[in-house]
Order: sequence, then structure tokens, then C-alpha cells
Amino acid sequence: MKSTKYSEKVLDHFRNPRNVGTLEGNDVAVGKVGNPTCGDIMEVFIRIDGDKITDAKFRTFGCGSAIATTSMTTEMVKGMTLDEAMKLTRQDVAEELDGLPPIKMHCSNLAADALHEAIKSYRKGRGEEVADDKEKVEEEVECLVGKDEFLDKGVYTGVDNLQDFENRRTLILYTGDKSVEKAIELTEVTGRVILLTPDESLVLSPELAEKLAASTVKVLYESRLLEIRGEVEVEKALIRNLDEDEDYELFVDAVVIID
Amino acid sequence: MKQVYLDYQSAKPVDPRVVEGMKPYFSEKYGNPSALHSIGDEGTEALEESRKTIARFINADEDEIIFTSGATEAINLGIIGYALKNQKKGNHIIISEIEHISIHNIAKHLERSGFEISKVPVDQFGRVNLRKLEQRITDKTILISVGYASNEIGTIQPIREIGKLAEEKGVAFHSDAVAAEGLLPIDVKRDGIHLMALSSNDIYGPKGVGVLYMRKKFRVNPLIIGGGQEQGLRSGSEDVPGIVGMSLAAELMQKEMPKEVKRFTSYRDRMIRQILEEIPDSHLNGHPTERLASNTHVRFDGIEGESILLSFKDRGIAISTGSACTSKTLEPSHTLIATGLLHEEAHGSLQITTGRFNTDQDIDSVLEFVPEIVTRLRELSPIYKSN
Repeated sequence: MKSTKYSEKVLDHFRNPRNVGTLEGNDVAVGKVGNPTCGDIMEVFIRIDGDKITDAKFRTFGCGSAIATTSMTTEMVKGMTLDEAMKLTRQDVAEELDGLPPIKMHCSNLAADALHEAIKSYRKGRGEEVADDKEKVEEEVECLVGKDEFLDKGVYTGVDNLQDFENRRTLILYTGDKSVEKAIELTEVTGRVILLTPDESLVLSPELAEKLAASTVKVLYESRLLEIRGEVEVEKALIRNLDEDEDYELFVDAVVIID
Repeated sequence: MKQVYLDYQSAKPVDPRVVEGMKPYFSEKYGNPSALHSIGDEGTEALEESRKTIARFINADEDEIIFTSGATEAINLGIIGYALKNQKKGNHIIISEIEHISIHNIAKHLERSGFEISKVPVDQFGRVNLRKLEQRITDKTILISVGYASNEIGTIQPIREIGKLAEEKGVAFHSDAVAAEGLLPIDVKRDGIHLMALSSNDIYGPKGVGVLYMRKKFRVNPLIIGGGQEQGLRSGSEDVPGIVGMSLAAELMQKEMPKEVKRFTSYRDRMIRQILEEIPDSHLNGHPTERLASNTHVRFDGIEGESILLSFKDRGIAISTGSACTSKTLEPSHTLIATGLLHEEAHGSLQITTGRFNTDQDIDSVLEFVPEIVTRLRELSPIYKSN
């Protein structure tokens, strides 16, 4: 079966998704799941009255089946009790859509998971006991492999000469305001500057934050540089996505680490 | 609904003139080129004339042309055949990070058989870095494989420079020319290519036919053993109608290429300019100038390629994407990743490839729909910044 061979119902929910948007309020819970490898990110919002779900909305970045499954999930859960909604499975959603191509079953059918996340966070917020299997362990700071090996072969401890970076894909580690200023400066000579930070957000002066937002610098949050790789010079960076606890390689030409 | 086809990279219609020219070779001139009677002679003549035509198409000698069942077989024969023939000289092979998937899989296969594979990175535009290529060459290196141009992002490689480097280092140079044939004038002598794969369908010939160009003194081991056709390197009775079709396609292509390339270039430049101007947070993938005339490859922040493809499909337009969700493995395009994109960026791409039967109206219709499709999908998206 082709990966895009969808049922009419899937196509209908893709073309006319139900309940697009967000919800706000004290009685609202949000669940977010994503699988960066496949490229789907889903957010499910539910409004809860007592133990009943009275409204549901969603936003999805993803392929056709990702959009359709989240749309269908929000349709199905309205009126359900929280216990009923916790029992809703990916399989139930897929069946309601007259099936999904097998290759799409696990990857882009995460909507039920997002729903469960929302319910768990709601219950947790009310002090209820929730079995949480996704508790993250704070990682210890690991030492960076390859920094010394590639020093002056693509690893820089400062940006002294902008021309050194012309048209080079440059990864710069966030080490304070200066690193942000240098990142913005680098965009004058290269279209690709990535600023890496292990935190969820950057604490910057409003002025610098505005400058950064207006620039072409790509900020990677919750990310840690683990290793610099290459044959003779810097060619790749091994990066850990701390949120997903996943490692991946990014092709780069230069790494800037300002102490 | 009228269908607009803008996915010429994945398959091309056979030119009707080619179909006409092939017809006599099914039921009238059906002889086996190996047979010695006059019915067989007709087959021999057609085969050898076709060989000359293909040789002219790439400035090769006719005894350097091996007909195969397609480009994939030609690539297998070129790389695996050469590796097996030369394994006493060395076991190291270099390929580029953005080779066609078939070459990545051949490399994995050879690795399991004891060969060592290195991959040479590309820059942000998809061009192979010559310095990094040279850094990888050792005294064990027997073969370098770099595609003439990328089948995905259309970036044209510095082929002559790579050919020169291979010559200096005494290493064989294989190039998969499938994406480039018919869009760039290929000259194996000028380019310094020793082994090269061509496909018939990519120049509007029938599917199921291909060619391995094999320079003298760069012989390969056969992978298919039998009656000894094609210098013993590709046994099996020749597919004369298909081969005639490919040579007719090459003849037509040689005549029409300059005009076609001019036309495709204007389509491409118009699409790239208009999309980048009209759509905020859109980016060009691949090289701004060193790219195939037929190739437009753009990406949009915050949306996913399969959704884009489905939206175009609903409007009767066939395009392609670098998205993982349309592939068999669900991995994002290795080519886009090699240019330095993050997974989420590689997912939001749109690949438009034009061809012989496109018109200005086809380009109008795709450009008309891009803004509304991108806007709608961004409204749905939790990761597009303005939401």
C-alpha cells in the first residue's frame, strides 16, 4: 500500500479538519506529542467540566494522516469522561477513519497519545496520583568530544574575522549575550547560523531579543552539542535533543564556542 | 479534473516519435542480434546503430557502451563490477553524501562484503567539497562516485574538477548522470569520467533500458552471466525495441536540448522568484545558479511536505516533496539533511520538476495555488512562528 493511499474519511478530515485552534482557561488541559524523525507534532487541547470533556481543539504539523487523526480524535472525545478518553487508542482513531496505511500507523497516529498527555497533566495539576512513565532524568553535563581535535580546523573560540565564515554553516553555542551578538553578526556573511542552547528559552535584554528574532539565526532550544565530527576538518555535529532524548547529526562547517 | 504534471524527475512520458520508431522492432524486425541469418542481421544492425547514437550523445566510443535493463543495473555494474574487478588493488570507495539512494544502498552492500566506504560531505548548496574529497583519498582508494547532478535538489557538481582529481590520483571516477542527461551537455572525455550510468526514460525513451559507459582500461566484472552479450559484461538477449527507443530519444534530445533548457530555465527562474517573493519564510534548497534547468526546490517553515503534496493533488497538480512521510522508510531526505537542514526543515519541501510537455499555463496554475496552500497549512501548524 502506498504511504499516501488514504481512505475517503482521512482525506475528508485532511481537507476539512474539525476543531482547529487552541483553548484557554483554568479548565483547559494541553497535551503535546511529537516525533521529529517522522516530522509530526501534535497539540490537543481539552476543556473539562467535572470529569467530562466538553470541548476539544488541536494544532498539527505533519502529513495528511497526522492532520486527519488529530482532527478525528478531537471529534471523538467530546462528551467522553476522562476515564473513557484515557482508554481511547490509536487503533480506535484509525478504525474510525476507515484505516490508515500500515506505515503510518505508529508514526503519524500520535493524537491519542497527545490526548492522554493532556488528561494526565490535568489530573496532576489537581494533585491526583498519575502514573508517569515519561519522567525525565536531568542529565549530567557531558564533556564535549572533538573540541580540541578540531581547534582551528573549523572550531573557533571567537569570531575575529567574519570572512572566515563566508558561506559556511556555522553552529554557535549560547554562552551569554556575546554569543548572541556574534551569531547575529555572522548572518552578514552566511545564510546559515544556528544558535544552540540547552535551555527552553533565552534570557536576553528586550533589545537583543528583538534583534535576534529579526535575524535569520536559527535557535535550537533544549539541545546540547555532544561531539564534533569530521575527517580532517569539522563536518558534522552530534546534537542531543534534550526534550526528546534523541541524538542526531547535523552537517556544519564551523563551530563557535566563546568562553 | 485536468491534470498538470510537474514531477518529470520521477518519470517521463515516452515521446510519441520514439514510440513510432520502436514499433517495427516488435513484430517485423524481431531478430536476435546473435543469430546469423538475415532476420538476425536486422537486429544486429539496429543494435549497433543505436550504440553509435548513444556514444555520440556523450562523446564516447561505441565499444564503451554497455546496454542494461536500466540505470539501476548500470550503476550496479559500474560500481560493484569495478570494485570486484579491482579488489586486489584496494578496497576503499568514496561516494558523496547526496548520491541517489541506490548508490547508498550499493555502498552498504559492498561494506558487508569487506569494502570500506567513505562519504564526502557537500556544502549548504549541495556541492561536493573538493578539498574534503581529496582528504579522503588513500592508497587503498579504487573508485570515486559522484552524481553529475542531484536528482532531488538539482545541484550540478564540479564534475570536471572531480575528474581531474581522480586522474591525478589514479582513481576511477563513476558518475550517475541520470538526473543531468538531457539537461546538460555531457562529454565523458572532457569531464574525465570513466564509468557512467544513463537511463532511457530520463530522455523520454521507454523504461527498462539503460547504459553503462565504460572507458577502455576501466573494465568491470559482469554481474549477470549467460550467453556473453555486450562483451560478456551483460548477458541476455538484447531488448532491441527498447534500445532503439533509447537511441531515438537521445537523437531527439541532442536536437532539442538547447531550446528546451532555455524554456525550462525561464519556468524555473519564474517559479523560484515568485515563490520566494510571495511567501514569507520560504527558502530555496540547492544552488542558486549551479542547478538543473528543470529543478525548483523550495521549503516553507512550519509545514510538512506530504500535506503540501496532497493539497496540490486535490487541485490536479502532481508534484513531489522531500518529506519523509512519503517515503518507504519515513526518514527525511538524506540529500536535504546533507545540505545541513534539520529534520523539521527537511520535511517542509516542495520539489517541482518540469519537462518537455509543460506549458506556461502549467506554471501559472502551480504558482496560483502555492500561497493558499501554504497559508492554510500554516494556520493548522503549532510550530509556525506567528501562530
